[in-house]
Amino acid sequence: MKRRLALWICLLLVWSLLPMLWQLISSFSTAESLVNGSIPFLQRWTLVHYKELLASDPPFWRYLLNSAIVSALTTVITLALAIPAAYGLARVPLQLRRVLRWITVAAALFPYVLLFLALLELARRFSLGNSLIALAMPYSGLAMPLALLLLTSVFESLPRELEDAARLEGLGLWQRLRWVLVPLLAPATASTAILVFLFAWNEYPIALTWLSRDELLTLPVAMARIAGSSIYSIPYGAYAAATVLGSIPLLLLVLICQRQIVSGLTNGAIKG
Amino acid sequence: MNLLLLLPALLMIGLVFVWPMIRYGWLSFHANSVLTGLNPVPNGGANWIRLLDDQRFWQDALQTTRFAGVSVGLELLLALAIALLLDQRWRGRGVVRALALLPWALPTTMMALGWRWIFNTPYGPLERLNEFVGLGPLNLLSTPMWTWLVTVVADVWKTTPFIALLLLAGLQTIPKDLYSAFRLEGGRPIQALRCITLPLLMPYVLIALLFRGAQAFGVFDLIQVLTGGGPAGSTESVALYAYLNAMRFLDFGYSATAMLAGFLLLTSAMLILAMLLRLSGLMKPVQP
Repeated sequence: MKRRLALWICLLLVWSLLPMLWQLISSFSTAESLVNGSIPFLQRWTLVHYKELLASDPPFWRYLLNSAIVSALTTVITLALAIPAAYGLARVPLQLRRVLRWITVAAALFPYVLLFLALLELARRFSLGNSLIALAMPYSGLAMPLALLLLTSVFESLPRELEDAARLEGLGLWQRLRWVLVPLLAPATASTAILVFLFAWNEYPIALTWLSRDELLTLPVAMARIAGSSIYSIPYGAYAAATVLGSIPLLLLVLICQRQIVSGLTNGAIKG
Repeated sequence: MNLLLLLPALLMIGLVFVWPMIRYGWLSFHANSVLTGLNPVPNGGANWIRLLDDQRFWQDALQTTRFAGVSVGLELLLALAIALLLDQRWRGRGVVRALALLPWALPTTMMALGWRWIFNTPYGPLERLNEFVGLGPLNLLSTPMWTWLVTVVADVWKTTPFIALLLLAGLQTIPKDLYSAFRLEGGRPIQALRCITLPLLMPYVLIALLFRGAQAFGVFDLIQVLTGGGPAGSTESVALYAYLNAMRFLDFGYSATAMLAGFLLLTSAMLILAMLLRLSGLMKPVQP
């Protein structure tokens, strides 16, 4: 029984990690050894792909920085709007709440790629293209339904008496939010923040249409641009190195915050 | 006051989700392409008539539906197995869970190119393995059938962890007493799966089905980077076709029509699915 369990766990890990492991191996292989299997084992390895990536123009870390800026900004804006809204949503009359909840669920289900054209029009009309700060606007809107769903369920589960007591003590709305509700909300806020951050970090179609200047590209767009350069001569070694470098921040995020991610996803499922 | 707090967030949702649909509705009754100097000119229902007759759109709609159906089905099966595994108690479960979650957290475009390398002919690892078997080159990314399968594998690889977590959350709501009672009555483990686990897990399966179904129908990143819709348009999705209409053929009126049509198809499919599920008694009316 024990042994069978271990076997299944190994299978799961192989399935999840093997494709990434292949990228890791490729990234350290010389261009020659990627296409020629008969090169002796010891002569196959190199760091040249990493050096090239960091020396290219713009250097690779620039894309990571861009993605980090957009994602952080998106997270801040989304939470700043979603926390008060979730509070309001948990306090409006039941009928209205039901309607608003359906709208939020429908928006969260929506495959947002279908929105890109209208959003691109907005970007052109108000000259928001090629700006990382402007890009955080549609991102916040797109992440809003998910954030609302996650946060509302928590506000609803908090006992009303707690807030009434604070009101009796003479605390205003903002004070109640700041000193009573937000601290109780901290775990849910953390997991919401991480999920919103991940969404913005991975978003592709909107960034693809809003950004065109090389030094402003976010990570997903920069990756895809390498792919689009040519079908036959993709520099797979350099590309694999980019995959590895690009995964490191996420690898750390997932390993450190897996508890929050899991609880965010599962809360969303139970109550959404 | 409470409504005031809601307003900014609702405005944001309205601007990003509702406005585009209104705009597409308007655009779909206008010609707006290079031919009109990128200015909207009313053209009656010409876009919609063209759409009804557009073989490529309907072909894509069919392909996208097939892709969504097969990958979500496979994902649910695999995710159930993974969730059952993660529901057991064993040491190091947290780390394994985090590692298994990794494919879901990575940008789709990043691994899409990774898959292109893995399925490359003749240098990818799969073709290398195949050399030993000696079947001749598989041409995984230039044969429609294989390429389609590759996109399904890539999608299953990426999103199974997400569904597995949803199902795991469901599994953990099932009281363990039920299983011990069942065992005392002489039930076998495989029967417990059928009589206790699956029925109680059904709401979670349905949530995953609806959510992933909608997302998979909107598949774009993966297809655009991994296959570009090829070979010969055999993996093109509705979203990719709409994208190409706008960004490559610069026909915004028709692109808006295609996207609105895709949205309407998806919504009706979802409503029919929900109705069938409710009729079959699997889904209870939602109680917020």
